[in-house]
Amino acid sequence: MTARALTSARLAKAQPNDEEAARLAYIASARAAARRRLLLPLGAILLILALWEVGVAYFHVRPFIAPAPSAVASVLYHKFGLLMSNLGPTAVEALIGFAFGNLLAILTATVFVHQRIAEEAFFPIAVMVHTIPVMAYAPILVLLLGNGLSAKVAIAAMICYFPTLVNMTRGLRAVSPQQMELMHILSASPAEIFFKLRLQCALPYLFSALKIAAATSVIGAIVGEWIGATTGIGALIIQATYNFDSPLLYATIVVGSVFSAAFFGVISWAEGRVLRWNVAETR
Amino acid sequence: MSAPATGVALRLKDVTVRFATERGAVTALDRVSLSIRSGGFLTLVGPSGCGKSTLLRVISDLIPPTSGEIEVLGETPARARAARQIGFVFQDASLLPWRTALQNVALPLEVGGRSRRASRDPRELISLVGLVGWEGAYPHELSGGMRQRVAIARALVDDPKLLLMDEPFGALDEITRDRLNVELLRIWERTGATIVFVTHSIYEAALLGQEVLLMATSPGRVRELVSVPLANPRAIEQRETPEFVEIAAHLRRVLETCG
Repeated sequence: MTARALTSARLAKAQPNDEEAARLAYIASARAAARRRLLLPLGAILLILALWEVGVAYFHVRPFIAPAPSAVASVLYHKFGLLMSNLGPTAVEALIGFAFGNLLAILTATVFVHQRIAEEAFFPIAVMVHTIPVMAYAPILVLLLGNGLSAKVAIAAMICYFPTLVNMTRGLRAVSPQQMELMHILSASPAEIFFKLRLQCALPYLFSALKIAAATSVIGAIVGEWIGATTGIGALIIQATYNFDSPLLYATIVVGSVFSAAFFGVISWAEGRVLRWNVAETR
Repeated sequence: MSAPATGVALRLKDVTVRFATERGAVTALDRVSLSIRSGGFLTLVGPSGCGKSTLLRVISDLIPPTSGEIEVLGETPARARAARQIGFVFQDASLLPWRTALQNVALPLEVGGRSRRASRDPRELISLVGLVGWEGAYPHELSGGMRQRVAIARALVDDPKLLLMDEPFGALDEITRDRLNVELLRIWERTGATIVFVTHSIYEAALLGQEVLLMATSPGRVRELVSVPLANPRAIEQRETPEFVEIAAHLRRVLETCG
């Protein structure tokens, strides 16, 4: 295999034109595939929006029942300032909750992996808390922490916590017995085993969890705002619903989900940069 | 305290290893005694479950013996390991997938810092195992044979006196295995390390080993020690000589009684 690889490397030097042409053809076909992956869903969305627009007009659906996409677009344009000033608090709550929830989950997983007793004692409690719907514990947290930033952050953090805890614990354990034997033969310290082996092993698992958490932290913040908040995407959703302002409601939802998608995209981008060694498995 | 060149690299006396399992105690090794001179090359062959891998793990302080004595270069296995006298090559290369070939070879220099001895340059070892140009490649970009070369280079970076190899070429195709066998013999001659090499292949055992230790199963024990009087340095073509065929036939006959 080495010899074959070396031979092909030599061939590459001997016939640069052929190799170059093949390389360009490969890149061109990869680019075409990427373009298709982008354009196909885009086309599908445009088609659905067009059908929706035509359907609303044709059946004379009243705007507060279901607004036409053009009406939603108009709100997005004319009330952009209002929408953004409400996205701000939600984004801050989601990001802080994301950071706290995941950090806490990573620390808990680290303890679990090193102290099995702690896992046996506390993991069932984590499962039980996780089975409580967010709609049920959100009011409790607002009562406990007041109607400010901290309650929303706590709800966003709680909703992120469990998936990251489960994934991170699994990831930190995803070390092969032979890798552990290797570290033992090298007389590695527990800290070295953790930072040079376990943490690296856990990164693919962690990023899977972070991608879930990126979307759920925004949901947590929005749910938190449903309970008595005056600003934020969640508050705007409640207001628009009570006012039968469906175009504003839809526009608010669009802003919220675009933010979630962007957050997800940032995590995916970071994953691609940090886990370059893992490309073979993720593809 | 290192053994003189003509001394004994490894000595085992009545080493027994028992494991507690669901079905009661299992004797993995039963009173195994052997000794290898410094710079020797011993191959271990035997049926599955004869304790070959267990033997390597007792020598390298990965598992403690239930009873018996082990001396690695005149010291206990734990001290020899702490002094980085033991290199280990696993069946799967056990490379860290987030490290490049060169970074994998350098791993032993980054951990267990207290026990640092004179070590070798990772780049020089990459060249010793024939991977110049692949220093920056990640394990998933390397073939099985190349990964095993990286693992060998990693095991040599501390310049160990004793190299333990647990079926390192077992998962490779025959051509790659032949090539790596020849390269391992060259590395053995250049480094002067003592090698204990576990294999399933009679031919690999006879081609590589100055001595072949045949082991029998349940309980795992030494069946016979066969010396291989082939000319050194060895070459693949020697497998076709009458002497080699005769040795291989003898090994096979004994192994048939080992299962």
